[in-house]
This record gives sequence, structure tokens and C-alpha cells, in this order.
Amino acid sequence: MPIIIFSSDSYQKSSELAKKTAETLGYKYVGREILGSVAAKYNIPEAKLTKALDEAPSFFGMSTKEWKQNLAYIREAVLGEMLADNVVCCGLAAHLYVLGVAHVLRVRIIEDPEERVRKVAEQGHITLEKAKKLVQRIDKQRKRRSIECFKKNETDPSMYDMMINTSQIDSEEAVGMVTTAAGYRKFKPMTYSIKCMQDMELEGRLLAVLLKDYPEVRVQARDGAVVVEIKALKREKNKKASAIKELVGKISGVHYVEVHVINDIFRQAAESGR
Amino acid sequence: MSEKLEVLLLDDEPIVGKRLKPALAKIGCDVEVFENPKEALTRIGEKEFDIVVTDIRMDEIDGMQVLEHVINKSPRTRVIMITGYAMMSLAREAMEKGAFDFIAKPFQPDDLRRVIAKAAKALGSPIDFDIPAAE
Repeated sequence: MPIIIFSSDSYQKSSELAKKTAETLGYKYVGREILGSVAAKYNIPEAKLTKALDEAPSFFGMSTKEWKQNLAYIREAVLGEMLADNVVCCGLAAHLYVLGVAHVLRVRIIEDPEERVRKVAEQGHITLEKAKKLVQRIDKQRKRRSIECFKKNETDPSMYDMMINTSQIDSEEAVGMVTTAAGYRKFKPMTYSIKCMQDMELEGRLLAVLLKDYPEVRVQARDGAVVVEIKALKREKNKKASAIKELVGKISGVHYVEVHVINDIFRQAAESGR
Repeated sequence: MSEKLEVLLLDDEPIVGKRLKPALAKIGCDVEVFENPKEALTRIGEKEFDIVVTDIRMDEIDGMQVLEHVINKSPRTRVIMITGYAMMSLAREAMEKGAFDFIAKPFQPDDLRRVIAKAAKALGSPIDFDIPAAE
């Protein structure tokens, strides 16, 4: 059966619908509750993982390197859960990195802007004007994060299979629509889509291991054959390639490793200028 | 093992049929190989196959048309799509039109054998081939 990914500007609303959908279909719900185990596994505060999901890296906040790393840890855990199928996922930015998998149904939850502002004002005990500004700031930051960090605009409707406006469609109806769509043949797992997911999961595990030492690493996996691309100085090329081959070769599911080292022209220029 | 599974394999690349025919014969399939979609459709009109394996991108008649033709003619036949141009939209279209499975090329003969075994099971004629737990 398919995997369902919910996303929304409001985690509270989408997680409520995701939980109800999971319950109706008898699927496993995967939400931010998994962050605790991710934090424990990598010995980092859970708050940092939440921050990586909600905010873009910035000069005064989380560095790009740390942000990428934290997100890689979350992605590894999420993709691991998704291998099992029958999963409803929410609030883990999966809509931005689980792409091109035919048996993943992507649902975007939206609501009328005025209603959202009203709710934020009520919850935060602030004026409507302040709530409006807060919502605008949050939306701007989320849009920037999705474009800068994932090269995707999460507000683009073409990213989703289904968009539901919860100001017009009540929760029960929304869950009914999603569960009906989940039964469509087109979202049924097939050999191709299962392999896509397995490749993605392996890439997730590789990134979680490699990003710490190689922040600009790019990884591609297909059927256990892995291509790793890094930047390095010419003199470091062989040493780094061997180190990566050794490291990646130990990861389960990897049968073949190829490392492409691109000359780091910026570092080279910086070093030659000294 | 029960009676032999009747399989029609259609791919305009001769090497595909040449490689897969013996691989499927090993698991008890009786395979007819075609490189020309028109000839394959004529044969499908004459005989009801248990399984049709078809490439998607072919000249004149594509795999989607073959799929629709088979589903209309014999709803019991399981159709497996194979393609070197796999993408999400094409996979979803094939599944929606009634394909049993969709496999991206290149693949190992075992990948197809596994799907054939699943199809045989769905047809109520299981064959001797282990389907790994990953499924």
C-alpha cells in the first residue's frame, strides 16, 4: 500500500489529519515523535533537530553545515520508516526530499489565510495585526528554506498529488478523500517505485555518515552501486577517495563504490594566494 | 509445480528476448518472444496468455496501447511493463491502466522472475521461485 506524506504551514493541523488517516487505514504514523530517537542515536539535542526542520540556516542561527547534517539524520530515520510501506508521515519535511516515488501520495493541507491568522492570535494571545505579521514572517522563512535548501518551492501546487483547504473541507471529509485516493491503483507500490525508495533510503544512510566530514558530498545509489562526489584539492584526491571507499564499503546494502573527486578550485585559489 | 505459464514477451530490442526467454524458461514459463508490436497484438488476438511482458517505448504501437489491448481482451492476463525511460508519471499511468507491475531497465533476470512469480501466485498457479522477504 502507498505511503502518505502530509505537509502544511501548520504542523498541528496536518498532524491531526495524518494521525486520523493512519488510524483509519491502520497504517503507522510517523511524525516528530521520532526525533527523540534520532537525537539519542546521534547524541544531539532534539531541539536542534526541530530547529533544522523549521528554520533555514543563517549567520546568527544554525550553520549550513550543521543544518545539513541534522537534516540528514532526520532523513535517514524517515526513509528507514518508509521502506516498510503503510506509513503516514507528517512534519518531517519529507515532501521536500522524498521525490519521484510513484507509491508516495503527497498531500498539502492549506487553510484560508484569515482563519490561520485568527488561530495564531488565539493560541499566542496576541492581536490580529501581530499574528498576521508573525504568519507572514513564518511563511517567508519556510519558503526561503524550501527554495534555498531543497531547491523546491513548497507552496507550488504541482509538488502535490492533492491539496485540501481545511477551511472549506472538514477533517472527516479530508481524511475520507485521502484514504480514497490511497486506494487508487496508481499509488500502488511496484517494483520500480520500491527500488526508487530503497535507493533513496541507502542514499539517506550514506549522507548521514558522510556529511560530517564531507559537507559538500553528493551521493547517488542504484541497486547498491554507489557514486560519491566530493570536492578536494588535487593532493588530497587519492587519500580522500580511499577513505570514502573504505567508509562507504562497510555500509550494508552497498555492493560497489565509485568516488569522483572534483578539484576544489576555490580552496586551491585560496591556498595559492597565501 | 503446476502447468507451464504462458508468457508473451515483447521488446523491440532483440537482446532482451534473447536473454530473458531462457531465464523465464528456467522457472517453468513457456515464452513466446516478439520484437514487432503488431505481430504481438495479432498473437494476443489468437491466444490467451497468462502473462504479457512488454516494453513501453516502441515504434508505431507503444507498450501502453499493448496494455490497454490486453486488459480489454483478457482481464485475467497479468501485464508487466518494462522500460528504460522509467519515471513517476509513466509508472502511475501504467498502474492506473491495469498493469500488474512496472520495472525499470536495466534489471536482473531475477527481478523479472520475482515479478513473474508474484503474477503466477495472483493467477492461482504458483511457481517454484523464492520471493525474498524484502517484498
